[in-house]
Amino acid sequence: MNIIEVKNLKTYFYSDAGVNKAVDDVSFSIPEGKTVCIVGESGSGKSISAMSIMGLIDKPGIIEGGEILLEGKDLLKLSDSGMRSVRGGEVSMIFQEPMTSLNPSYTVGYQIDESLKLHQKHLNKKERFEKVVEALELVGIPDPREKYREYPFKLSGGQRQRVMIAVAMACEPRLLIADEPTTALDVTIQAQVLELMKKLQRDKGTSMLFITHDLAVVYQIADEVVVMYRGHIVEKASAKELFADPRHPYTKALLNSIPTPGKTVRKSRLDTVDDSVDYLSFPKEIR
Amino acid sequence: MSDIVFEITDLKKHYEINMGLFKKPKVVKALDNISFEVKRGEVLSIVGESGCGKSTTAKLMLKIEEPTGGEILFEGRDITTIEGDDLKEYRKKVQIIFQDPYSSLNPRWKVGQIIGEPLALNTSMSKKEIRDRVLYLMEKVGMEPDWYDRYPHQFSGGQRQRIGIARALALNPEIIVCDEPVSALDVSIQAQVLNLLLDLQEEFSLTYVFISHDLSVVEHISDRIVVMYFGEIAEQGTVEEIFDNPQHEYTQKLIGAIPVIDI
Ligand SMILES: Nc1ncnc2c1ncn2[C@@H]1O[C@H](COP(=O)(O)OP(=O)(O)OP(=O)(O)O)[C@@H](O)[C@H]1O
Ligand SMILES: Nc1ncnc2c1ncn2[C@@H]1O[C@H](COP(=O)(O)OP(=O)(O)OP(=O)(O)O)[C@@H](O)[C@H]1O
Ligand SMILES: [Mg+2]
Ligand SMILES: [Mg+2]
Repeated sequence: MNIIEVKNLKTYFYSDAGVNKAVDDVSFSIPEGKTVCIVGESGSGKSISAMSIMGLIDKPGIIEGGEILLEGKDLLKLSDSGMRSVRGGEVSMIFQEPMTSLNPSYTVGYQIDESLKLHQKHLNKKERFEKVVEALELVGIPDPREKYREYPFKLSGGQRQRVMIAVAMACEPRLLIADEPTTALDVTIQAQVLELMKKLQRDKGTSMLFITHDLAVVYQIADEVVVMYRGHIVEKASAKELFADPRHPYTKALLNSIPTPGKTVRKSRLDTVDDSVDYLSFPKEIR
Repeated sequence: MSDIVFEITDLKKHYEINMGLFKKPKVVKALDNISFEVKRGEVLSIVGESGCGKSTTAKLMLKIEEPTGGEILFEGRDITTIEGDDLKEYRKKVQIIFQDPYSSLNPRWKVGQIIGEPLALNTSMSKKEIRDRVLYLMEKVGMEPDWYDRYPHQFSGGQRQRIGIARALALNPEIIVCDEPVSALDVSIQAQVLNLLLDLQEEFSLTYVFISHDLSVVEHISDRIVVMYFGEIAEQGTVEEIFDNPQHEYTQKLIGAIPVIDI
């Protein structure tokens, strides 16, 4: 069963200069317990797709069309308060930039506690405290009891990112959206965090929408991959198919620009996606 | 000019964490006795676990924070004691690209103004000259000219990171400390930015202190590498020494954990 179905989503930004079709006719769905990864160039509409699902598009942005079905219920038809209870409940999101979504004036522990208070009402204060400490411990934050009392600016970049992850996972959502959740993490902690997300997925059947530019991570965790380019999906395939046999020229160019240890000559100039090519002129590869 | 730009000896940074009323504060040793050198024209990378003290090192080198102990010599002079014009000169020569692009950009300023600010503050360039230089820098980092009048929140994460890079390049610095400069970028823009950093290095013999957790990138760009572990240095060496023959257990673990696409 699909937890989420995005159908023909269009999210546009209007300005004096005209309209920026940030997301233009995008469709994908995620079955229960599965992971879909969105990859694609910077500015191609990955985060805006996610923000649209979260109901966080503000003026001058407008959702011009489409449907976002969460277990059959169209999120675009919900009231503001209806949407608020979906957010951080059935759907939660790890944002691309931790400092913009953690509140600088509250301690780390308080912020996770707030999320638990809302969505795990059966717990009392003491149980919640233990749960917060456990959540921090699970994402590998050292001295969680002390970090509970810390303000976000006193944490390192990667620690802040993991606090965000702890906040998003604490309420055990049906759909977890993760926007570049591991960019600030070193490889060993990244592996630990990815394993944790997969565990949540196995235990609770959580579906994941995972946005990342790290193709090696995609290779490890994705069931299906969606490749975006300038607001459009240019290729959609299972992770296996995509890496073994990338078909769209944009996907091929993207895969070519990663430095590969052992293959790329150190300090050589890397291949980049050719800006002069209009990749939208090629047929879409939806498998 | 000396071959060694930075000479860092026994650098310490300790933070006190308040444990609440009537409790003794706890000391976090973010950095404990680290020593390394940065040579002119090289790319020195700092890698290590999240929270091991990389950004703290960067902040101390930029004089954003003061060390608890130890010494940072820049071209032979202790930076803790420089002041006045010398300090101004130092701030021109040494620039930083921050880890968290959003919180380091003033949200009420337009992009052109953000990139041009160091020029307005530190040079006698005319408005027109500043504008031209900003547009040149924007082009260099892959930004469209009409982004000049936009605000930071109107950009995607990767686009924002390029604002910070253009700003750091504005004053033609000698040294750029890059704290996770490409972690928010898609692989193609990342490749563009790395190519750009390498080109600029050749063109202006720039020196980079490069902090990154992406080891494929580090292997690609570095001359030498410092591996940190819990506020201390686990080992340091050339890129060949670290990647081809890592000695410290943590380095071996780190290199072993690099995710690879093996099809
Ligand atoms: N508030 C806004 N006002 C106007 N345009 C916006 C706004 N937010 C985003 N955009 C534009 O929408 C497009 C898509 O942005 P989005 O953040 O989805 O990119 P992305 O794929 O997540 O990129 P990245 O990998 O760099 O994070 C970009 O062209 C961006 O400039
Ligand atoms: N202002 C502060 N007060 C207290 N502790 C701090 C402060 N700033 C940093 N720390 C602590 O110092 C340690 C080192 O932080 P730092 O930001 O240097 O790590 P980092 O190596 O850059 O990590 P990351 O890869 O996650 O960015 C962390 O444990 C952090 O919590
Ligand atoms: Mg984004
Ligand atoms: Mg850091």
